Amino acid sequence: MNEMELLNWVRGPGLNIAVAVFLLGTIWRLFEIYSLGRKQDLSAPRNAAGASGWHTVVRRSMPPPGMLKRSPVSYISGYAFHIGLAIVVFLFAPHIVLIENLIGLSWPALPSQVVDLAAVVTMAAMVLVLVDRINKPVKQFLSTFEDYFTWAVTFLPVLTGYLAVQHLLLPYTTMLALHILSVEILLVVLPFTKLFHVFTLFASRWYNGNANAHKGVPV
Amino acid sequence: MSGLDNIPVNVEAPAMPFGSGNTGAILAELETSLQTLLTSGKEHSIDLRSLPLLPGELDYLRERLGKGEVQVDVNALGHSTVIETAIRGVWWVTHRNAIDNVMAEFLEVSFCPDIIRAQRDDVRESLETLAALLAGDNHS
Amino acid sequence: MNRRPTIAEQLARQGISRRAFLKFCAATASLMALPPGMAPAIAEALGKIRRPSVIWLSFQECTGCTESLTRSHSPTVESLIFDMISLDYHHTLQAASGEAAEHAREEAMKEPGYLVLVDGSIPIKDGGIYSTIAGISNLQMLKDTVENAAAVVSIGTCAAFGGIPMANPNPTGAAGVQALMDQGLIARKPVINVPGCPPIPAVITGVLAHYLTFGAIPPLDALGRPLNFYGDSIHDRCYRRPFYDQGKFAKTFDDEGARKGWCLFELGCKGPTTHNACATTKWNDGTSFPIESGHGCIGCSEPNFWDAGSFYKALSAPADPLSFAAGAAVAGAAVGVGMSFMNRAKKSSAKAAHETATLKDLEK
Repeated sequence: MNEMELLNWVRGPGLNIAVAVFLLGTIWRLFEIYSLGRKQDLSAPRNAAGASGWHTVVRRSMPPPGMLKRSPVSYISGYAFHIGLAIVVFLFAPHIVLIENLIGLSWPALPSQVVDLAAVVTMAAMVLVLVDRINKPVKQFLSTFEDYFTWAVTFLPVLTGYLAVQHLLLPYTTMLALHILSVEILLVVLPFTKLFHVFTLFASRWYNGNANAHKGVPV
Repeated sequence: MSGLDNIPVNVEAPAMPFGSGNTGAILAELETSLQTLLTSGKEHSIDLRSLPLLPGELDYLRERLGKGEVQVDVNALGHSTVIETAIRGVWWVTHRNAIDNVMAEFLEVSFCPDIIRAQRDDVRESLETLAALLAGDNHS
Repeated sequence: MNRRPTIAEQLARQGISRRAFLKFCAATASLMALPPGMAPAIAEALGKIRRPSVIWLSFQECTGCTESLTRSHSPTVESLIFDMISLDYHHTLQAASGEAAEHAREEAMKEPGYLVLVDGSIPIKDGGIYSTIAGISNLQMLKDTVENAAAVVSIGTCAAFGGIPMANPNPTGAAGVQALMDQGLIARKPVINVPGCPPIPAVITGVLAHYLTFGAIPPLDALGRPLNFYGDSIHDRCYRRPFYDQGKFAKTFDDEGARKGWCLFELGCKGPTTHNACATTKWNDGTSFPIESGHGCIGCSEPNFWDAGSFYKALSAPADPLSFAAGAAVAGAAVGVGMSFMNRAKKSSAKAAHETATLKDLEK
């Protein structure tokens, strides 16, 4: 298989399979999770200022007092790579074309130099959080194979995409094929790992906040 | 043709001198080549067809380099022109074929481009021709 | 003919002066995409080499490659180069036909070391019966001719990579020359691939000039294409590249962006994955190339370009419609609903099995 055949496969059958698995897994898990429900809490609700599901959704997006100093890498790098990923994924012209082809929506792109910069910042931040995870005994103790695996499948698309655009390491065609392949792996893996937080993050925050608000605790 | 002319096509060239970035590179290359010509006498030439230039960039380059004092027409395998630019020592060489299509275009950095000079082998042959000519005159 | 004349002798015979020869060498260097400083080396090399014999074989092809070559405006460097070779067999261009034509090929094959040019792919299915010349299958003719050749130049994407005849579903089992060598069906010889549909005439002659001038295969990329012509992608050499970097794209063929000459990536331009010299050498005597005329690159110098999805679909867009997506979504919903019923059943059975614990139970 030469690089052109690989590219044709990842753009054709490969993408077809990956999107299918992604949709199947995502819809399955969304149905399953949201249909679970919880036992009714019969206790009388206690009201407290600032205690509600919505408050928690917002509040958990900010570091609690003092935590930014204690764990700067988690917060700053964490934010940096999430925002960076959003820029790279949603504001790079070729990606917008893909999205337009898939669902028909499109919006203006950022100049590729800005996206390049975002990609570099994203990769640097991701490497930092990985190093932090390995260096901090508690984090390392809490980490499982899944944590490293999901880090890798998130990092690879950014790395291969950047290398492709910059014409580094391998010819563009090969790198582009590997880039698309790495995204397809990410799509397949996403519904079945902790990466599913892209769909459940805010709902679970709301749920926790709501449960605690019932007890009169603003969290 | 008239039908095509009605289509409002307006090719937008990015603001000069940024464009493809190659005009600046060419001018810089000319600068170093001129320096080398002065210090070591080494000649240099730049193939203008091997570089991607935006529409209008060739004209921009021609304008920037200007016109010097010498203009030579060479008739060998078609028409060639060798034009000295206002930057002396930099020559704009255009080779055309018999039906006037441009075959190659160079910027040459030298005191005198080779194509103008008479070639040693040609001079030797000319000597023979002249000798034959004289011999013919003497006979008649 | 025992002693073929050297190319310099050939030109001198045509009454060409040294000055003209110098001009010719400079133009040749430019044509071969070599640094201009190479012109003296070319002049020296041309003074030594002999006029080689060339056999041109046309198989499953459309003659577009030959058309491309002969459409190069003559007399040009290209035509001069063709004066330098002895084209002993080319069934479209030669005057002879039938027995006489095949005889010319057999004669040329008697002196080993000739150059074989191939255009068109070779069908190998069902014993190669899908294309024959003078009753000889293309595969057999190629096999016989390549046996004593010095090298093979595959002209056009069909000869290089199989091209359109090989496109899905490939009814004739078409393959390129290199693939046949890899399968051991013909003798292994050095191969230069000059793909394109058709290749740029100046590139065909430039590659030939390089081989003739230096008597060696030029440096090639992984797909056997000469690096001096196929080393860069169209995208990297494209004059519209600045627009790509600025994020300025034509969205349709008649919008503001298209009129202003913005990047055609979103209209399906395959420039980023296509390696060819169009952006620099250009077509029709340096007039323009497809992107300059407002149409994206279709990637014709790359293997399997015909099966790479629509020409008008952006490279980053899916090549085929996502046929599984709807089915997968329905299946996902079905599994999810099924799971939720199972979970509910589990919950209600847990509820039913629930017993109130008493103090007695705890003392057990």
